[in-house]
Amino acid sequence: MKLRRRQRERLSLGIQYLVFVAIIVAVLAAADWGRLADAFFRVDIIESMFPTIITVALRNTILYTVGAFAFGLVFGTILALMRLSRVAPYRWLATAYIELFRGLPALLVLFLVGYGIPIAFPEREIPGGVFGSIAIGLGLTAAAYMAETIRAGIQAVPKGQMEAARTLGMSHVTAMRTIVIPQAFRIVIPPLTNELILLTKDSSLAYVLGVTASTIEVTKFGRDMLNDRVNATPLLVAGLAYLVITLPLSQVVRRLELRYAKAR
Amino acid sequence: MRVRSAVRQAGLVAAVAALALSAGCAKKDDSEVQASGVKLVEAGKLTVCTHLPYPPFQSKDASGKVTGFDVDVMDLVAKELGVEQTIIDTPFEGIKSGQDLNTGKCDAAAAGMTITAERQKVMNFSDPYFDATQAMLVKSGKTYKTLDDLRGKKVGVQAATTGRDYAKKFEAEKGLQIVEFEDLAAEQQALANGQVEAAINDLPVWSEYLKKNPGGFQVTAEFDTGEQYGFSVKKDGNPELLKKINETLAKAKQDGTYDAIYSKWIGKQPSA
Repeated sequence: MKLRRRQRERLSLGIQYLVFVAIIVAVLAAADWGRLADAFFRVDIIESMFPTIITVALRNTILYTVGAFAFGLVFGTILALMRLSRVAPYRWLATAYIELFRGLPALLVLFLVGYGIPIAFPEREIPGGVFGSIAIGLGLTAAAYMAETIRAGIQAVPKGQMEAARTLGMSHVTAMRTIVIPQAFRIVIPPLTNELILLTKDSSLAYVLGVTASTIEVTKFGRDMLNDRVNATPLLVAGLAYLVITLPLSQVVRRLELRYAKAR
Repeated sequence: MRVRSAVRQAGLVAAVAALALSAGCAKKDDSEVQASGVKLVEAGKLTVCTHLPYPPFQSKDASGKVTGFDVDVMDLVAKELGVEQTIIDTPFEGIKSGQDLNTGKCDAAAAGMTITAERQKVMNFSDPYFDATQAMLVKSGKTYKTLDDLRGKKVGVQAATTGRDYAKKFEAEKGLQIVEFEDLAAEQQALANGQVEAAINDLPVWSEYLKKNPGGFQVTAEFDTGEQYGFSVKKDGNPELLKKINETLAKAKQDGTYDAIYSKWIGKQPSA
């Protein structure tokens, strides 16, 4: 039997679809729907999670994320400028920091901030309590990543921009501040938004610092409810709560990337 | 000939899919049913789930071996079965929700775990093997004697424990600020650092801590909650093992082994 190329392709594709459908059917048939609904979708539990999951848990998740992002952005920008500096020790310092903190798990850094610093400096407190500890702990790690992103952004701004600014009589610093950095940030908005999404999820590490009813975030809230009710529904709801933040952010990244692609 | 390659390609997709499916569903099956009817998830081993560290019930010694009161008692059970005990360190949530037992991660849970009605819904408990009391630990020199003294103050508890549930009951009434820590070590550290004013946990746990850190802390209040510890096995899943545990406990209490283990880890028996 001899088939033409078109037919062969169609056959191959058909078989692949068939396998795909067969897998889905098998999974659907194998699942115990009543049990799944009882484990993951108990309406009474979902109702009991509101409004706390929004007013406290989600609010704190967003607060921690924004705090860590702000700290990381400011610190990361400073690091990026240090890495691009003509003064060698600045470069060394920044490089050493970036290599170190990019290599450490965020969980470990949070432990260091939450438990290491109080041991090293008794009677001193990190300003802002849990919020401050998380903003600094996650921000220290995020800054290392952001510094590299921002540096790439600055280097992506054509050299001519700086040269032109200097020719107009601007100082290096003024040219950097008013000409180069604004353009660099336009370039790095998509990767920075990705960092924001990563931080949203990392904020769940807050549990290691010890949480109170008022500082609880989404993941710990879901885990507590799982414990109290011995049911997986709270985990599902907690997962959806994250998507409420991250999906719109992903959409923003996609839009921006499209726009830049067109502008080029 | 080319048709075959298309078919083969599809076959490959199917094979990979089947493999992924079976990998997702199948569990490694080394299990064993002993002559006595006791089921073990891994042959020749009594696999026990716990959450470390929780001295004196279970913690790692200098060489990294897990030791403690619960470990010694479960060793008796393992000996009775003619197998070795292996201990898996896993978050307490998985233990108390019964999931670690349901998914066959371990045969039994021994984690200084209080028998509660909630937990009895998701696993079978052995006979009680320990009377536990909750207690409040504070730094020496602090004057907190009751929960009332802690109004507006931060109180540390351990997540998913009965001590946490006890404190939560009084959170509103006594105006406590409850701070939940993931494990005992973090709770102790927070008290030592002054991040919390007092910490609530099981009395034997604090007694052990005071032994290791003399001078700095004191237990200023005990809360008799009538709690009792139990070992647990999968809900309706391993009655023979449960029977074996209960038999071993009864025997050990009778022949003095239990008392020996008790005085080794906890100290003098309370005159009951």
